[in-house]
Amino acid sequence: MIFMKGKTEPKHEDGYLIETKGIKKCYGEEGKCEITVLQDINIHVERRSFVSIMGPSGSGKTTLLDILGCLLKPTEGKVFIDGKNVIGLDDDDLALLRREKIGFVFQQYNLIQSFTALENVEMPMRIAGKPKWEAEDKAKRLLKLVGLEDRMTHKPSELSGGQQQRVAIARSLINNPQIILGDEPTGNLDTKTGQMILNLLKKLNAEEGYTIIVVTHDSRVAQYSDKIINLLDGQVLNETYLGGSREHEAKVSRVSRKPALVQKGGD
Amino acid sequence: MLDLAIKNIMRNRTRTTLTVLGILIGIGAVVALGSIAEGLNVSITNSLQLTAGKITVRNKDAGIFGLGTELTKDDLDIINTVSGIKDVVPISVKTGPMSGFTGPEYLIIGMEPDKLQYFVGENTKMYQGRTLETGDSDVAIIGKPLADKYNLQVGDTWTVENDDFQIVGIVEKTDISEIDSAVIVPLDNLQAIMNKDTYYAIYVVPDDVRDTEKVAAAINDASDNLNALTAADTARQASQIVDQIRFFTFGIGAIAAFVGGLGVMNTMIMAVMERRKEIGVMKAIGATNSMILRQILTESAMISVIGGVGGILIGIGAAIGLGALSGGTIQGYVTPTLALEGLAFALFLGLIGGFYPARQAARLDPVEALRYE
Repeated sequence: MIFMKGKTEPKHEDGYLIETKGIKKCYGEEGKCEITVLQDINIHVERRSFVSIMGPSGSGKTTLLDILGCLLKPTEGKVFIDGKNVIGLDDDDLALLRREKIGFVFQQYNLIQSFTALENVEMPMRIAGKPKWEAEDKAKRLLKLVGLEDRMTHKPSELSGGQQQRVAIARSLINNPQIILGDEPTGNLDTKTGQMILNLLKKLNAEEGYTIIVVTHDSRVAQYSDKIINLLDGQVLNETYLGGSREHEAKVSRVSRKPALVQKGGD
Repeated sequence: MLDLAIKNIMRNRTRTTLTVLGILIGIGAVVALGSIAEGLNVSITNSLQLTAGKITVRNKDAGIFGLGTELTKDDLDIINTVSGIKDVVPISVKTGPMSGFTGPEYLIIGMEPDKLQYFVGENTKMYQGRTLETGDSDVAIIGKPLADKYNLQVGDTWTVENDDFQIVGIVEKTDISEIDSAVIVPLDNLQAIMNKDTYYAIYVVPDDVRDTEKVAAAINDASDNLNALTAADTARQASQIVDQIRFFTFGIGAIAAFVGGLGVMNTMIMAVMERRKEIGVMKAIGATNSMILRQILTESAMISVIGGVGGILIGIGAAIGLGALSGGTIQGYVTPTLALEGLAFALFLGLIGGFYPARQAARLDPVEALRYE
């Protein structure tokens, strides 16, 4: 918590990767606050950490994830990503931020049904304006990384749930984001497949240095997490740190845990 | 991302095909009708060459194709009293049988043989045989297209009612329909057959072409019966009519094309609704609002441009087909301008039809769209 005491905002590579201050989200007509979904959320996410957001249905987990992923603007409060306050950015800037820094993995996989696995993975890079051959080249490498090199030309309907989720993970990686956000990534999968997806996410976290934030009901996720944020009725009930002084370890080992396996062209 | 647009519009082939068809029919109508208006314009312009520098005198109450009141010998005498006239050319016209809605199959024109010279210009050449000569009787010259149609040659016979005319000459195709589909015989012969001594029209050749307007005015002053028009008057009237026809045909085509545009809008609204979730994903992975807008506009423009190109081809085909059906009476002229206008109109429809759904798509809230089931 040392970092939060400083009056100046945390600097790039120095502070938390994500930090929220006093987030409130409510819905209502004409800006009135009729239903409060989130209140007074002050959390932070360490670089290269694995964080789980848990809580019962309706506790505001997904809303919080949408806010962290810059898909949703909070009613009040500030969100810092890489030290930069993203509140006040316009739609285009937020889109650019998502494109460069954030990868999404959804419960429903959300692959484009008429595209092949390869084309789905290419998509974020195509959106970023990269040429087709470059996107294709990288998408192939990522599909290989998630073990789907023999399924590249298959359409989502020809893939199992676990395979689709691996395609979605490959898609989330293609623009070399720092953060991968998972919204119930194992929610639609059987136990064994869910375990495999969690292993993959953990591997990406531990070996490649991606910061992973997962909203989940799945208690198994705990064993992979550095920190669990428990929400109840739109507020943080508690934050549990696992694996000892992980925060300290994360800070110390920051330099040594550079990404190695996945080539990060943008770095 | 053109490849994505192609992929997207190919998702629902039936719907895309039907939408393309809507635009295709609309643009086809614009081009086909427009080309007929153009053809009419060309045809009238060509015809005007015949009367250039001359005055056409008809009875004030005259109708088309010999209907209504004709001119008499007295009228001819009155015209002859006007000064500045080099020659007068009275003609008689008998129409051939009607073919469908396109007018008579041919015209039999009676003219004094020695006056034919006034209508022979650089556009009229003999293909075969000779022209009419003074003293000719029971002979005819005919236009080449007409000769081809009835498989006639010099020496063959053309029969009008019970009288046979020996064909002595065939006039090379001129693109002037009055000559191409004409059988020209001596005036006396035709008047005898029709059993009348009146004239369909009298052409007046002025001494000096520059006095055409003045002479025409003098003829109009000379008798209340007469209506003298110069080629310029005719051109003015004709261009007014052509403009009206152009406006009318474009109107019909534009309505058809507009309905096609509504089809594009409908299709794109459906497509955006179906792909709502996908648009949410695109936004989540970094697509900006304007990228989504462009993507949808590209797809709608693509649909309508495909329809537009098809419509131009169909329109050209229809114009040619109509020309063939009418035996050359209706000639479609597809100018490059007309084709470009058709394409531009199609693109315009695509962008207009696509704009509303594209804007809807661009404005979709990613969070709502992502969780849409």
